Amino acid sequence: MLTISHLSKRHPNAARAVFDELAFAVAAGEIVALVGESGVGKSTLLNCIAGLEPADRGAILIGREAQDIVRLDESARAALRAASIGFVFQAFHVLPTLTVAQNIAVPLLLSGVAPGEHQARIEALLARVGLAGFAQRWPPSLSGGELQRVAIARALVHRPALILADEPTGNLDPRTADEVLALLLERVREEHASALIVTHSQHVAQRCDRILTLTPEGLA
Amino acid sequence: MSRLRWQLAWWLIRAQFLTRRTATALAMLAIALGVALGYAIHLINAAALADFSQAMKSVQGEPDAVLAAKDNAARVPLALINEIARDPAVAIVAPVIETRVRVDHAAGHTADQAAIHPGAPVKLIGLDIFSAAAVMPGLLPRQDGGSIFEDGVHASPALLARLQLKVGAGVTLTRGAARWRTRIVGELPAARPGDLLLVADIAWVQARFGPPDAVSEGRLRLMPGTRPASWRESWSGRLPAGLTLRAAADDTQRVSNISRAYRVNLNVLALVALLTGAFLVFATQLTAVAQRSTQFALLGVLGLSPRMRLLQVLFEGLAIGVPGAALGLALGYGLALAFTRVMGGDLGGGFFSGSTPVIAASLLPSLGFFALGCAASLAGALYPAWLNRVQPLAQALKTGFAQRPPAVHGLRQRPRRTLLIAIVLLALAALGLTRLPALYELPLAGYGAIALVLVLGIAAAPLVTQIVFGAFARRALSAPQRVAVQNIVQAPLMAQVAASGLIVSFALTVSMVTMVSSFRLAVDQWLDTVLPAPLYVRSKGMPLPQELLAALDQPAAPFARIERTAHGALSLDPQRPAVVLLVREMRRADAAARLPFSGPVVAVAADRVVVWISEAMQELYRLAPGQTLRLPLLGREVDTVIGGVWRDYSRQFGAVVIAAADYLALGGHFEVSDLALWPRRGEEAAAKAWLAAHAAGYGLDIAESSEIRALSLSIFDKSFAVTYALEAAAMLIGLFGLAVTLAASVWLRARELATLSALGFDRAMLTRAVMFEGALIAGIGLGIGLACGIAIGAILTHVVNPQAFHWRMELTIPWLQVLLGAALTLAAGVIASRFAARLATRLPAAQVLASAQ
Ligand SMILES: Nc1ncnc2c1ncn2[C@@H]1O[C@H](COP(=O)(O)OP(=O)(O)O)[C@@H](O)[C@H]1O
Ligand SMILES: [Mg+2]
Repeated sequence: MLTISHLSKRHPNAARAVFDELAFAVAAGEIVALVGESGVGKSTLLNCIAGLEPADRGAILIGREAQDIVRLDESARAALRAASIGFVFQAFHVLPTLTVAQNIAVPLLLSGVAPGEHQARIEALLARVGLAGFAQRWPPSLSGGELQRVAIARALVHRPALILADEPTGNLDPRTADEVLALLLERVREEHASALIVTHSQHVAQRCDRILTLTPEGLA
Repeated sequence: MSRLRWQLAWWLIRAQFLTRRTATALAMLAIALGVALGYAIHLINAAALADFSQAMKSVQGEPDAVLAAKDNAARVPLALINEIARDPAVAIVAPVIETRVRVDHAAGHTADQAAIHPGAPVKLIGLDIFSAAAVMPGLLPRQDGGSIFEDGVHASPALLARLQLKVGAGVTLTRGAARWRTRIVGELPAARPGDLLLVADIAWVQARFGPPDAVSEGRLRLMPGTRPASWRESWSGRLPAGLTLRAAADDTQRVSNISRAYRVNLNVLALVALLTGAFLVFATQLTAVAQRSTQFALLGVLGLSPRMRLLQVLFEGLAIGVPGAALGLALGYGLALAFTRVMGGDLGGGFFSGSTPVIAASLLPSLGFFALGCAASLAGALYPAWLNRVQPLAQALKTGFAQRPPAVHGLRQRPRRTLLIAIVLLALAALGLTRLPALYELPLAGYGAIALVLVLGIAAAPLVTQIVFGAFARRALSAPQRVAVQNIVQAPLMAQVAASGLIVSFALTVSMVTMVSSFRLAVDQWLDTVLPAPLYVRSKGMPLPQELLAALDQPAAPFARIERTAHGALSLDPQRPAVVLLVREMRRADAAARLPFSGPVVAVAADRVVVWISEAMQELYRLAPGQTLRLPLLGREVDTVIGGVWRDYSRQFGAVVIAAADYLALGGHFEVSDLALWPRRGEEAAAKAWLAAHAAGYGLDIAESSEIRALSLSIFDKSFAVTYALEAAAMLIGLFGLAVTLAASVWLRARELATLSALGFDRAMLTRAVMFEGALIAGIGLGIGLACGIAIGAILTHVVNPQAFHWRMELTIPWLQVLLGAALTLAAGVIASRFAARLATRLPAAQVLASAQ
């Protein structure tokens, strides 16, 4: 579902590369935890995979058609994200001026899912993340945990092949974090999607199928 | 684009409008204003021109050619009319005599005096019924029995209504010493509702007023198959000097030319309004993009393509522009309607007085103005849209809006030097443009130079900001000041936008104030020279009554000195409005005392005819003092010498003065229409009473020079009232731009500011910091704006005014007004930034710090 080979990335003006000749794969339906010290390059790796930052070398094959996002131009990368990737951020990033339902509908609109299906999908998913009845609420009136559930629903609603989550519980208190994470894993398994989850929590990592550790020298 | 994408675009647009109501509404209004102004000018002018050509058609018919004298005092000999009529290519020639007469009637004097000014001049047309039927059917009298004129005049329905007379009433028609006691024998059913006309048989008019063997005009119809242009060409060589054959279309062209410069000037103002609209769209969209950079980055992560991120901002611009332009069309239509109801079709310029045009919107121009409004809003959204497209997604998600777009091919390697070179080049280009002559008789290059100066001011803003802040950074600053300076360094784009708005609005305001006050001072001084006498008497468009002139010659008249003037019109170019001929009682030696010469006065040999021309005439016909000028006077070409060029702010299409003695020597008839009177010392009151008594009943204008002066200046002030209103609007828009961008830049740094406040930086200090920032930006904007404004003011007075209106004047900068305006704007800018600060500091620090957005 995700195959990375010979991946290298160095930030412009940076003294050394963030990672070099990185290679790993995530199988269909597999959930992989990515751990590592702060500043080691986990976010950079996720951004490269999603095509938000350009990689210098290597290949990143995504989805059933195994498209190499490194070789795509900007619009094709956007199209690939719309079709095959769901992203969950540490900082929620829910659009404050759209309702909860509209926020979740955005990936449906961008990936071209038939409008007739939207409402049913959104409502079903809202119920599954424990937000039944929240459809018409505005984000500023939601708590952090609730916002992250909206973000999870939004990452899953268009049934992407790959979910990327960058410290999805970093901004939540431990109890809420546990709940939200359990929910994320459950939903990912339910949708038979693959996932790469960056986390600092040993507890979280252990619940994944596999743990990858990123070090300055590469994957361990 | 699919329906789904539209759905998303619509959600975002709606959210944007709901969260930024004021800014959006103001930008919309500014676009509407620009469109409305331009559209109204177009509608009024189109209606006035249509009205004029209708009027021409009804009075003149639709001849293929008109044979007339270039000098309106001259006539077309009947012999020539007969000769042309014998040309086989000519179907018919209709001879016409046109004159103006005073209408007196027994009933009017005692009845309602207000109905029509007693003795007001009315156009009297003498025509030959048979030929007129073919060429000018609109002037035919009601034909009940025969088709031959009775001994009497026919009046248009409008004239009858004005005079409160009925058919059958007796009237006396007077012109100078000639008088005709007659009767109104019928109506002119085909006359248009507003026409005030008398029509009589040409023989009767000729017998009373006209020369016996000549007419004013011959209006011709050619045989089918004859090409009018080539026929006119074939005859023009054979015509006696002083006569022309013109096309009827020339008249419409001429009328359109009359108001052309004035219209273009108004259209430039409309364009400025439209540009301010574009600027407001720019400011709102830029801040909107900045504030939503994380949201757009998120949408990018979700799969919104870069193209769509660009298009979305353009859509939002259009969403402001489309309703704005539609509102503008409605507003413009209403404005045109209201304006013509109140003022007639002359756009306040006094060009088409007396007409009541009908406003009619046609599809194509309406669409054109609508498109213009949309284009302005799109233009304003262009840069923000591009900036939104190139925002680096990962970075925008992490740290928000990137003020500097990523470097493009090393263009920003040496910003300071590139900028300096660009500024010098712009200045040179602007200077070059001011040296160019008028294009199509319009100061297009001058307008271009003005645009360049504005661009120059905006381009100079970053440089000046760098210099000012470089200087500040080296000083010891208080904490709030340090924060303010840092804010501008970190958010240079916002500061620059805010400054640009002020630069443009203040520059335009200063330039208009400078131009208007230069002009006013020039008019004031000019009035001193052109109004030497204490008292003036004037009749409109016809000679003064013989009785009054005779009485003035009596020793009992209480005047020490009298100077008489007669008016004529010389048509030097059929497509241009005629030049005014002023026949004045003055000696050559006195010329400098009577005319405000703007250049050297040439001594002319006593045996040559000398004329003094106005600046407008000098420029329109490219003449110079000392040069020989061939003038079509009294039906022949007369060689005259230009003795000097004088300043004239009232006759835009040129005027030429000739001494009465010279004119009489040429065989002219001195039909006095204006008097300048110097009462005998100590008899001022008696003189006025004497005049009032002798002029009663003739509908004459009697005024003291101080009244004329006050009236002229008040007309001047009124005609610039619109300009002042626009200046005020421009300043408000500039201030609004400052407030919006300041608020946005503070908002963008809300997190930093909240951090500061958590570190013990209190609210008052924060407010002071933002106000200091506002004052700095406003100061820079006003400084650059002032410099640009003076430059533009100089271009307006020295390039645009002379080229468009042939008005020349000295540049006077009203420092007091300008500096006061700058101080007020600075104060308003500081107040505006206080609001921006309040907006930011009202965000509870804890919340801002907690939310990572
Ligand atoms: N835009 C950037 N420019 C230069 N260096 C960057 C940029 N973004 C991140 N870095 C550097 O790259 C390294 C990896 O950062 P990041 O991927 O955010 O780490 P992590 O997510 O593992 O904490 C860090 O040393 C960081 O300083
Ligand atoms: Mg990280």
